[in-house]
Amino acid sequence: MTQLSMQAPEGVQDYLPLECHNKIRIERKMAQCFHLSGYEQVDLPTFEYLDVFATGVGSVRAEQMIKFVDSGGHILVLRPDLTVPIARMTSTRMKDQQPPIRLYYVANAFMSRDSSPNEQKEFTQAGVELRGVPGPEGDAEVIALAIEALRSAGLEGFSIDVGQVDFFRGVMEEAGLTGPKADELRGYVDRKNMLAIELFMNENGVSPGLRERIMRLPVLYGGEEVLGAASDLTQNARALSAIDTLREVYEHIAAFGLSKYVTFDLGMLHSSDYYTGLIFRGITDYFGSPILSGGRYDTLTADFGCSREATGFAIGVKRVLIALERQGCMEPLPRIDAVVSAAPEKRGEAYAYANALRSNGSRVAVAWKLDADGLEAYAREVDAQAIYFE
Amino acid sequence: MKPITFALAKGRLADRTADLLESCGVGCGDLRANSRRLIIDDEKNGCRFLLVKPADVPTYVEYGAADLGVAGKDTIMEANYPLYEMLDLGFGKCKLCVAGFPGVREKQVTSAVKRVATKYPNIARRYYRSLGETIEVIKLSGSVELGPLLNLSDEILDIVESGRTLKENGLVVLREVFEISARVVVNRVSLKTKGERINAIIEAMRAKVEGRS
Repeated sequence: MTQLSMQAPEGVQDYLPLECHNKIRIERKMAQCFHLSGYEQVDLPTFEYLDVFATGVGSVRAEQMIKFVDSGGHILVLRPDLTVPIARMTSTRMKDQQPPIRLYYVANAFMSRDSSPNEQKEFTQAGVELRGVPGPEGDAEVIALAIEALRSAGLEGFSIDVGQVDFFRGVMEEAGLTGPKADELRGYVDRKNMLAIELFMNENGVSPGLRERIMRLPVLYGGEEVLGAASDLTQNARALSAIDTLREVYEHIAAFGLSKYVTFDLGMLHSSDYYTGLIFRGITDYFGSPILSGGRYDTLTADFGCSREATGFAIGVKRVLIALERQGCMEPLPRIDAVVSAAPEKRGEAYAYANALRSNGSRVAVAWKLDADGLEAYAREVDAQAIYFE
Repeated sequence: MKPITFALAKGRLADRTADLLESCGVGCGDLRANSRRLIIDDEKNGCRFLLVKPADVPTYVEYGAADLGVAGKDTIMEANYPLYEMLDLGFGKCKLCVAGFPGVREKQVTSAVKRVATKYPNIARRYYRSLGETIEVIKLSGSVELGPLLNLSDEILDIVESGRTLKENGLVVLREVFEISARVVVNRVSLKTKGERINAIIEAMRAKVEGRS
């Protein structure tokens, strides 16, 4: 072992006091927001059997998961997200609990991501899972909660960009495109790659009328007016019902007075298959990637044998922290209020006094080795009050 | 108002892009002033230009350090980031090709795995994987044609414009893999947070590009 052991591996980091203070501060604020909304905190194992994540679930590909083997030869993975483990937990240990179930977490997840430079391999997520509340009511509840959580963290100038995977699926049904073909097109639409979409349609002989409609999918984003434009595009029942859901969700959000936070993007599809309806991402001027990701995944729990409506989101804590710093919203470390020392025979008294101050919320450090003068000097250095018992 | 930041690939692409942007009314005369400045501000239009190495354009855009960028499709494919690729500018055309010696060269018994020299290791891996071939990628930064000449590699995967370098070195195109041209890529968040201005610029460019062809 030479110099390598002096540094942490790529993709992980130390949180020194100032950053840690701010990270924990926003985590607590978001957790408090979830807590006050009736969500219960849970904690789950850091690693799971690979099978748990091998249901084809999530945007996480097998090669991105960090794996190791236990003594019995089972492949274990460091959890790449909390949604799937919580689906496992609610479908097994909590299967008899009456819905709705409201859970939240603040926890680290792990992923090895070579192709995305903006990411750490160990990252903290703060998120919620809502089980057993179907339809727009559930969707609106979690979107509003996402907005409140980001607001409580102190973030300004963000929006929640909302899409609906069923809209695209409906349009694909109408176009008669299925399986790998539809998947290929989904990737292009998600990346708003107009040229690839055009080439795809040439190669697959898509009819001119349909072609024009598909070309408009990637640009179906913006305010509420997008929903009208989208419903003009299709006669497919599934796609139209997807738009209706979005309208209803928007009505809820507008009634909450939060409509300024919501935008729509019907070309946003996420890469994953587990979403079954509404999906959303949080974006801000102050960070180049989404800071929050969520959606509805009603069929995920069925993979664990207990089918139940499910929706939720996860906030990338580090990303929010970076955005906050760019907004100038970092807090300095709270100062130490007092430093205490005492002559040897007065230590008991001094200790009790320090504790009394602490119980009133003051930060009090002890420095038993220092005499009165030494304590004075130290107190000046840390900008605290010196309390010496002699 | 925050400026719209462009990442431009230094060299010919940046010049052509500057021409195009100027014809769209986005002035960037300073871009060709040949200065050493890396950031050029056009305060009148609220734009900012970064002149960067071509291969770095997708990186600046992915991180959000630039809102949009212009780079060759080859660079974008190699980076493989989740960017919005919104417009084909139609210039900077060339082909991504597999090249090597014509005919079947006598294979060495010990080279069971095909060796491919390339500037694009990610594209090479994806491409040969799609063919079901196992390869060994040899990453080079230039003069990739030397690979087969020195028996460093069996084939090369590289962009071909005129084909002259290949010809003068006795190599031929074995397969054309992809048509390359300059593309406009946009950061996923910027398209939403600065959507109106970015779309106006892209639509103006689209009108020029389509009008020309």
